Amino acid sequence: MTVAVLGIDWQTLADAIGLGAIYALMAVGIGLVFGVLRLVNFAYGQLVMAGAYALAFASERGWPVSVGIVLCFAVVLALSALMDQIVFRPLRGQSPAVMLVATFAVAFLLQSIALLWFGPLGKISASLATLNQPVTISGVDIRKIAIVATVLAAGCLLLLVVLLGRTRVGLHMRAAAMDFRTAELLGVRAGRVIGAAVLISGLLAAVVAVMLTVQTPLVTPDFALRDTILVLAGVVLGGMNRLVPATLGGFAIGFASGLLGGALPTDQSQYLPSFLFAAVILVLLVRPGGLFTREGQQAVERV
Amino acid sequence: MKAPVLAVQNLEVRHGAVDAVRGLSFEVGRGEIVGLIGPNGAGKSSTLHAIMGAVRPTGGDVRLNGASVIGRRPEDVARRGVALVPEGRRIFAELTVEENLVLGLAGRRRREGVMEDMSDVYDLFPVVEEARRRKAGTLSGGQQQQLAIARALVADPEVLLLDEPSLGLAPRVVDLVFDALASIRERGLAILLVEQRAQRTVAFADRSHVLSKGKLRLTLGPESAGDTDALVSAYLA
Amino acid sequence: MRRVDPVLQLLGPIALIGIAALVGMIVSTSAETYVINALVNVAIVVALYVFIGNSGVLSFGHISFVAVGAWAAGVLSMPVEEKPAIMPHLASLLRDHTLGNVWSLALAAAVGAAYALVVGLPLMRLSGLGAGIATFGVLEITHNVLRYWEKIGPGLNTFSAVPETTGLLQASLGAMLAVVVAFAYRRSRFGRLLGATREDATAARAVGVSVYRQRLIAFVLSGTLAGFAGGLYVHLLPVNTESVYLDLTFITLAMLVIGGATSLWGAVVGALAVSAVDSFLAEAESGIHVFGQSLDLPAGTRIVVVGALMALVLILRPAGLTGGRELAFRQRRPLRVLTKFAK
Repeated sequence: MTVAVLGIDWQTLADAIGLGAIYALMAVGIGLVFGVLRLVNFAYGQLVMAGAYALAFASERGWPVSVGIVLCFAVVLALSALMDQIVFRPLRGQSPAVMLVATFAVAFLLQSIALLWFGPLGKISASLATLNQPVTISGVDIRKIAIVATVLAAGCLLLLVVLLGRTRVGLHMRAAAMDFRTAELLGVRAGRVIGAAVLISGLLAAVVAVMLTVQTPLVTPDFALRDTILVLAGVVLGGMNRLVPATLGGFAIGFASGLLGGALPTDQSQYLPSFLFAAVILVLLVRPGGLFTREGQQAVERV
Repeated sequence: MKAPVLAVQNLEVRHGAVDAVRGLSFEVGRGEIVGLIGPNGAGKSSTLHAIMGAVRPTGGDVRLNGASVIGRRPEDVARRGVALVPEGRRIFAELTVEENLVLGLAGRRRREGVMEDMSDVYDLFPVVEEARRRKAGTLSGGQQQQLAIARALVADPEVLLLDEPSLGLAPRVVDLVFDALASIRERGLAILLVEQRAQRTVAFADRSHVLSKGKLRLTLGPESAGDTDALVSAYLA
Repeated sequence: MRRVDPVLQLLGPIALIGIAALVGMIVSTSAETYVINALVNVAIVVALYVFIGNSGVLSFGHISFVAVGAWAAGVLSMPVEEKPAIMPHLASLLRDHTLGNVWSLALAAAVGAAYALVVGLPLMRLSGLGAGIATFGVLEITHNVLRYWEKIGPGLNTFSAVPETTGLLQASLGAMLAVVVAFAYRRSRFGRLLGATREDATAARAVGVSVYRQRLIAFVLSGTLAGFAGGLYVHLLPVNTESVYLDLTFITLAMLVIGGATSLWGAVVGALAVSAVDSFLAEAESGIHVFGQSLDLPAGTRIVVVGALMALVLILRPAGLTGGRELAFRQRRPLRVLTKFAK
């Protein structure tokens, strides 16, 4: 393996970028819902888990990949809509802490349901395994999934930028995220804005499910749990209140995680989560707005 | 007899344990400016919020052209032809001026005529047209107030509610705003103006209701402008 | 009548604990096991209440204190000759000494207190969302460190050969002790000041209450109780890093929420009620007869039910079963019983 920079080989670098890209998408999914509902969805990872199970389900029955993907999207969107109706909307207006506990409960609930339904051993989603194979580019092996993930994520983000920046509904969403009450007073349809955010968030979760199952074909009830927690940390680090910093934060933590996980020897990478979370706590104390925001943009209050 | 555009009947609003508004009744007709004045905490803002549906009244009724709109959500009230210029402007600082205006379109009832209404609004407030592409946060207080009114107007409302538009503005800008309001009245809108500047409002509006501790104490016409005694006693009622 | 209310507020929970203990003694040995477990849960949930209930600030990290308490008590109460088996890399100070039961519990409490102080000093500046995420980070860090730092504990291994001293008596006394401490705190000046900050932080600050200091005091006290509960826990079951991590965090939070986060009565009721449901379901998972019907639930139903209950309570009745109120003969007209968490 040829060395790219600082003793890190190309494959690890590519993998880290790929992971960062996937985490960036998750960050957007979480950030969109937070912006509009002021709700941190702890259960976001469960949406990804559900999508992954759908893919595994299809894969086990030997269905074609496209069918699996369609099923994945269907399941995730349905679950997302259900979560919105049953949990998000009734909780609107509650304090952020109540919402956090509630989504925490939902996350646990869904995880246990999965455990109940599918058992602890997990299912395999093997259909897209070919993407895990490396492709050789100028003498360097890079896994296809790293490239696919990066391109796909970039594409999704671009679409999102266009959606938010140039469409009516995107403008309404941005306004609602900035000042929900005033937006309502102007006639912005709260229900539609929330629905749009939930929909996009669900679509992104489905995309993430597809990509994550390539790297981790074994789907267990805690699939994507660790990732969600890391992404949440990244979003807080980057800046919870605004979408761009949140996305950057998600990317950063995914990249760092992939890089350090791949580059460090095992005995040093064990404490990686501790360092990451210590960094999160530090940022919360010192720069509550987030690392990538300008001063004065805060979502986290201090005493 | 045709129903007035806006009719408030026996309105009651409570904030927790406090009665913010009690038994308030008044009307606003086409092409009228009605003022709502009174000391702080008198219930003026609460009245506007209740009309807009941002706050749920505990009693009474609000009628638009005879139809009751009580209990409806703000987005529905907006679509029925009521536009609010909120206290403190509440423009979206991070969005451009143009985007702020486009947001105002969310409350429009009819889809046609957007271009004409936009250009009317630009005529009324040239500074808004000039600053179209700038972030709204870079505007001065007076300019933001004009933007806030413009934003309400592009919704093509029948009723315009203004919550203390002159707050924090220089006298010259206040003149500008009041002139614009006079011009808006010409177009046939029904305007409900909540203000701190009592004398100015009394002189300017077709009639002004004095609210104190949630109740309507006195109604003054422009001829009473300058009569401080009546005003003071109503304030302290 | 008014003089009796505080007494009732203390005796109510104590009596409930006593009744539970009695049930455990009389009904059957398996019931006894469940009851002991439930009583240790009571101690943990009371610890949670001391901080979360009084301050209105959410903490996901309290199980960290249970964990370090368990670690401290577990490592030091194991017989010296047993230690190398599961803890070969243990530091010599820890390896060569053994503490008795009560001392190990005291140590657990002390370690919990110390850790809570270290964590609380920086974190008590946060509230709302920030506190939730930061304390979650503490949980993660604690879990991570305990899992890999083999100088202070068994790391990946499970505690074994720890004297199983938490029987019905120890669990009951432990739970009652926690209740008494929590009650004393709440009645004290500190507790009342903190409660004021929960109701209206701005007003409290305006009259000179240091929100930070009051929260820190409660945090450390609750860390002490949690550590103590961890000591009880390690003397009851084989503990490992997973058993003091997300699952326990979830279930104890669920108990607090379902019972009613802002009252001691709520904490105790919630812990016992949910434990009862959980135990019943555990039995059902292994097949029982109820009302002549045989009930055989699949494994994992328990958490699903508890999770659903918790979500339901949060959505429909956020104040919990007890409405967040203490036990009283006559419910005085509640002055704005605000049961929401601090924003």
